[in-house]
Amino acid sequence: MTSRFQHFVRRDRSCFLYAAAVCAASSMLAGFGAQVRAEPPLEYNRDIRPILAENCFACHGADSVARKADLRLDRREVAIEFEAITPGKPDASELIVRINEDDPDLVMPPPDTKKKLTAEQKETLKQWIAAGAEYQAHWSFIVPRRPEPPAVIDEAWVKNAIDRLVLARLEANGLSPTPEADARTLFRRLHLDITGLPPAPEDVAAFVSDYSQRQDDALSDWIDRLMESTAWGEHRARYWLDAARYGDTHGMHFDNYREMWPYRDWVIRAFNANQPFDQFTVEQIAGDLLSNPTLDQLIATGFQRCNMTTNEGGTIDEENLANYAVDRVQTFGWVYLGLTTNCGQCHDHKFDPFTTKDFYSLAAFFRNTTQPAKDGNVKDGRSTVLQVPVEADRPRWNALPGQIAAATANRDKRKENARGEFEQWLASANIESLDEALPVEGLVVHVPLNEGTGNETANACNSSEPFKATGEVTWTSDGKLGPAPVMKLGGTFDLGMLGDFEKDQSFSYGAWIKAGSDGINGGIIARMDENGDYRGWDLWQQGRFVAAHIIDSWPENALKVVTSNAVLKPGQWQHVFATYDGSGKPDGIKIYVDGKEEPLKVENNTLKPDASIRTGTSLRIGQRSHTQVFEGGAIQDVRVYRRAIDAAQVKSIADIVPLRSILATAPEQRTPERQAALYDHYLVTRDAEYPVLLKAVVDLEAEREAIRARSPITHIQEERKDSPPMAHVLMRGEYDRPGEQVDAATPAAMHPMPDGAPKNRLGLAQWLVDPANPLTARVTVNRFWNEVFGQGIVTTPEDFGVMGAAPTHPELLDWLAVEFRESGWDVKRLFKLVLMSATYRQAAITTPEKLERDRSNALLSRGPRFRMDAEMVRDGVLAASGLLSPKMYGAGTRPYQPEGIWDIVGLPGGDTRNYVQDKGENLYRRTVYTFWKRMAPPPALEAFNAPSREVCTVRRERTNTPLQALVSLNDPQFFEAARQLAQNALNASGGDAAKTIDYVAQHVLGRPMNEREQGILLADREAFLAYYQSKPDDAKALIAVGDSQADEKLDVSELAAWTMICNQVINLDEALNK
Amino acid sequence: MNNSQTRRQFFASGKNLLGGAALASLLGESFATASEAKASGPHFPPKAKRIIYLHMVGGPSQMDLFDYKPVMQQWYDKELPESVRMGQRLTTMTSGQARFPVAPSKFKFSQAGQCGLWMNAELLPYLEKKADEICWMRSLHTEAINHEPAITAMQTGNQITGRPCLGSWASYGLGSMNENLPTFVVLVATPTNREQEQAISARLWSAGYLPGEHAGVSFRSKGDPILYINNPPGVPDAIRKRSIEGLNKLNEINYEALGDPETHTRIQQYELAFRMQASVPELTDLSSESEHTFELYGDEAKKPGTFANTALMARRLVERGVRFVQVYHNNWDHHSNVGGRMPSQCKDVDQPCYALLEDLKQRGMLDDTLIIWGGEFGRTIYTQGNLSKENYGRDHHPRCFSMWMAGGGAKGGAIYGETDDFSYNIVRDPLHIRDFHATVLHLLGFDHERFTYKYQGLDQRLTGVLPARVVDELLA
Repeated sequence: MTSRFQHFVRRDRSCFLYAAAVCAASSMLAGFGAQVRAEPPLEYNRDIRPILAENCFACHGADSVARKADLRLDRREVAIEFEAITPGKPDASELIVRINEDDPDLVMPPPDTKKKLTAEQKETLKQWIAAGAEYQAHWSFIVPRRPEPPAVIDEAWVKNAIDRLVLARLEANGLSPTPEADARTLFRRLHLDITGLPPAPEDVAAFVSDYSQRQDDALSDWIDRLMESTAWGEHRARYWLDAARYGDTHGMHFDNYREMWPYRDWVIRAFNANQPFDQFTVEQIAGDLLSNPTLDQLIATGFQRCNMTTNEGGTIDEENLANYAVDRVQTFGWVYLGLTTNCGQCHDHKFDPFTTKDFYSLAAFFRNTTQPAKDGNVKDGRSTVLQVPVEADRPRWNALPGQIAAATANRDKRKENARGEFEQWLASANIESLDEALPVEGLVVHVPLNEGTGNETANACNSSEPFKATGEVTWTSDGKLGPAPVMKLGGTFDLGMLGDFEKDQSFSYGAWIKAGSDGINGGIIARMDENGDYRGWDLWQQGRFVAAHIIDSWPENALKVVTSNAVLKPGQWQHVFATYDGSGKPDGIKIYVDGKEEPLKVENNTLKPDASIRTGTSLRIGQRSHTQVFEGGAIQDVRVYRRAIDAAQVKSIADIVPLRSILATAPEQRTPERQAALYDHYLVTRDAEYPVLLKAVVDLEAEREAIRARSPITHIQEERKDSPPMAHVLMRGEYDRPGEQVDAATPAAMHPMPDGAPKNRLGLAQWLVDPANPLTARVTVNRFWNEVFGQGIVTTPEDFGVMGAAPTHPELLDWLAVEFRESGWDVKRLFKLVLMSATYRQAAITTPEKLERDRSNALLSRGPRFRMDAEMVRDGVLAASGLLSPKMYGAGTRPYQPEGIWDIVGLPGGDTRNYVQDKGENLYRRTVYTFWKRMAPPPALEAFNAPSREVCTVRRERTNTPLQALVSLNDPQFFEAARQLAQNALNASGGDAAKTIDYVAQHVLGRPMNEREQGILLADREAFLAYYQSKPDDAKALIAVGDSQADEKLDVSELAAWTMICNQVINLDEALNK
Repeated sequence: MNNSQTRRQFFASGKNLLGGAALASLLGESFATASEAKASGPHFPPKAKRIIYLHMVGGPSQMDLFDYKPVMQQWYDKELPESVRMGQRLTTMTSGQARFPVAPSKFKFSQAGQCGLWMNAELLPYLEKKADEICWMRSLHTEAINHEPAITAMQTGNQITGRPCLGSWASYGLGSMNENLPTFVVLVATPTNREQEQAISARLWSAGYLPGEHAGVSFRSKGDPILYINNPPGVPDAIRKRSIEGLNKLNEINYEALGDPETHTRIQQYELAFRMQASVPELTDLSSESEHTFELYGDEAKKPGTFANTALMARRLVERGVRFVQVYHNNWDHHSNVGGRMPSQCKDVDQPCYALLEDLKQRGMLDDTLIIWGGEFGRTIYTQGNLSKENYGRDHHPRCFSMWMAGGGAKGGAIYGETDDFSYNIVRDPLHIRDFHATVLHLLGFDHERFTYKYQGLDQRLTGVLPARVVDELLA
């Protein structure tokens, strides 16, 4: 007994506590284990590993940190080297000695682990060592091979290979399948599984008749037909969107709007197009790395951008980026590998061959991204996004680049050809001829303000009396057109009653200005009464910003726009001009600086249709009516037009002063830029063709900009070009404790990346769909199976590792995985196989015998029956009531929601704090389109176990709580649907009670009610009717629930009574179950 | 409460379909997951049968409330010594500051009760009266430095979201004590001042990997107290009762045809929903409360959504058998204007906290009801932003903060833990939030190391994988 094993094993209490807490193991599926264990020969995976995993691996397994005495029992060679196992000789194996030890200091597992081997387990281990102690890789790491379908007794039952594999299992357990469900029930099930919606009664009748005659052929045709419906993609997509953690908000802190619904729509389209699952995968993992990726392939990479992000002040960028990478690796692990890779974040996986290094090597693939650490609380997350024009805009969007290029070429060609005519013009041009280009139509004020002395100025476009200043004027010599006046209180100009405009008239105004300092707020040109609620209009210096006001009374009846940028440069001459189109809308105002239109933000938008902006105060230069002066600023060349002049005209006004000085310079002394400026002036103002050609370009670019502005954006993944993928191992997962640097690599214990695959996400994607990958196909078919049967063949779809559940039907899982892969990853084909099987067609009848021997239906001894997911529950009642809108795609919808759901989690200033419910059609859209705020998901859906979409979910819970009953009984959307169904039923039946019940049942359950059921409902209806006839006000209130109108032709009490009946029927267990 | 009698009264016309066990299964768990949804019960008799947890969101400033630092008066505007700061990481809100000048508390402190705790009795005159019934903890610490992860860590033991919170663990471990109300209820109080609120997400009261029925049910102060609890307009209770009876008869016919036990769960689900509908209006109707109650809690208690109202509601909930009431009170994130904001924050909670303790005591419930008060981290002694004697701001500080407990087996008058003169580092008896969780679980009757739930192949627990201890000094 001097083996290294004995020598190194020490009991260390603190270490034990750690190890026991993290890795105490689960009991295996006792029923199946017991069944097979009795059958020799012993198999490591089936018989031995569960015992070792449960009792030994926590301290003697894969985790190098928790490992005791360096001994590993999960590796045959190490166990033999340490003499824990001597193949063929149990008595010489320390493992056997120690598990049979009586001394509490020596016995394994140690008593304080609270683990104890049974006599049977001890015997099993002994026999296994005696037989040679052969190990196996964990089943899920062995590439699946198509098994030979076994022979069965009841050959006639078998429809396809699935049934053979299921039936063999049933027969081995002495169970027989349940007879086929009746055709109505089967069709409802089929319809729900393919489309997520209940069938229309006409389709039920048609199927029943067709199926009775053509059997399997009929079923096959109907499945094909239903899969052609776009509802197929909507239904399949929602499972994938859980896995992809798709949501409409960033997820953390402000949890503001994050726009990426084009990705959601792409998923729907991909399923409807039956995109092969391998392509579906490659595009989502690495669409951006494909050569010349299409718009769709880029949208697909949104899968990696769905992770939650933050903009919380104080968070540390490096930590955020580490968290984002962790989320991506976790999602990748659960969705594709069925592995709890997240364990590897802090320590080597305790049970699966997945190390911390593997974790960060995977993280390296995903960290090489341009995504920033903070999302800015804005919809584009300040990151790489794609503008995705909506369907209707796509033709123009695609045509515009070519048209713009052609128009630009035409324009440039004219520019080439007009040079001769320009030279001719230039030869005779002078300052007066330049001015000819200026707009004169509608000019009511033109004040050059270049007198240089005195306290008067003249209106150049009107030869009447000069205007007096409000006091002594100070002139400065460095004007733009000679000496200029400097504004001060008592030194501005009063232009009298000019510029008397109403808010529905268009006008334009502006000047050359030199702001005095950046701390000033003051009127540049204004006809505004400070003492009369600021009625009037103005051009306004606001620090370094320029604003324009159109005011009836401030602020409750007024418009104000301000430049988005700090455009004013105090001490420099700038040309500033505003135009207003008389619309009373903020976008009717434009502000130009040096001839260029500036982006604006709207600071006030309350102007009412009946507002007036006319005021008795004068038009003034340099101030509003009393005190608000453009202090220290200089002003020249003030122009006011009685119309909205266009951008080209504003530009010509702004250009004219510099052009004069260019023209005044001798030609040989003009720089090329100055000469070009003259040429541009000529082209725009004198050439016959050029303005038309220029306008064509401008219009096309404006059209492209307009489409861009109204197009949604979607977040896409983008590889950083300046660095190869790499990451640091983070010690214990902490971002600020970086360890070894690792390259991007797939888990070392798995198959290598395919030959020639690049070491980036594209290579990773190819590795996923490589035939050598043992997991992707299995994990995927298992999730599909889970969708149909309510539980997977592996009941832990996120964990195919050692500690996950063992497959109930390993051969079936492998057969399906191989079939899926070899069919070209054909999703529809795989589902069809499942739906055609006799296994699927069984009735969902639970006998006491089956309850006893196959309680959870793991053996598939009956058809699937389980409470539907939140989306199906809601969509189902909308469909049955005829309210369901067929409209697809688009921004998230906001159906009925109780008040106060968002604001309780919202922050002041957050853009998802106030829930504004939709009206009309958007209340009745399919649930896959519902806006998903991750901090406060739609409460009616959450009650039915819909996830928050904060992190990846590959398996939803299915609980039954009273809160669900409250939703389907009382939520306005359910109650409104009940009323709608009631009125449809009454209208269809002409008021006959039995026929009305039949209508309701056919629409909700796909079958008629039997006599007993009818009796109960008729009696209830009598009672309800009696009540509502006695309380018509209650009846009126009841039928008024919801946005849609009740049918006024129907008797109010009758409709109320039937609404209650429909409310009962949609709440039936049968209605809520598939 | 007599279950069978209630059932008979309600469903006099129906046959008794269900036994008590089936009902229990619905209250605590779903049928499908019956075997794993409930823990095996407490490991030893619990001291605390219920918990009211008052979480002060944002992180109250410990040195302005309970962690008295008189020496700091001499350090006004002096630089926090590097020997104290020791290069600790700061949030990016102050990591760029050129200086870290000390801001002494502007408030008057005095010694309270027999225990002699120095506290801010200027702003907490009511709480001062309870000093000897309260177990004071001045040495909490955590790793998290920003709100979202810190609140998550405080509630779930881990900064990363997705783990069950304390309330869910209590629900999972101890189950329900009533048949009309949820086991775990969440109340969000609206502070008087709302200028610096932090996000409170429903994920904080999610059940994490525990079965969904252990998630907190949020009772609202606006609209229906429980979502969808009220019948649609025009549907009186009698009509609802009749409709559920009919519904259940129809479901029974379906059960006869298919034999699915889940159908019976459905029937119970609707019965319980109805009973909740019947009992919640009574719960939220405060008109039955005496004048004495409102004298105790203050008139604010009559206003829905105030902290006082929430505290009273918490008492009514535990009185009716709710196991765990989680209360959130926001706006404690005082990056600036501590002097201006602290008074209204304290006024919001001071009298109601006193009232809650007093009220439970008078009803004989304080001994087995644990009250917890505290935030997610502490605040810095150095100012964030401008400093004057009267005003200053404080940044997040995870290395020490103060909390208190009362009732339910907590030791009244105990003062545990001590920080240095700067309330910056702990110098005696550090109390990690894991230790705190272990201690609270102990009061609920659980050994935190054995109180586990199997998820992803591991025995998960509230206190996680790092060492945690039950702190005996906090136990009565």
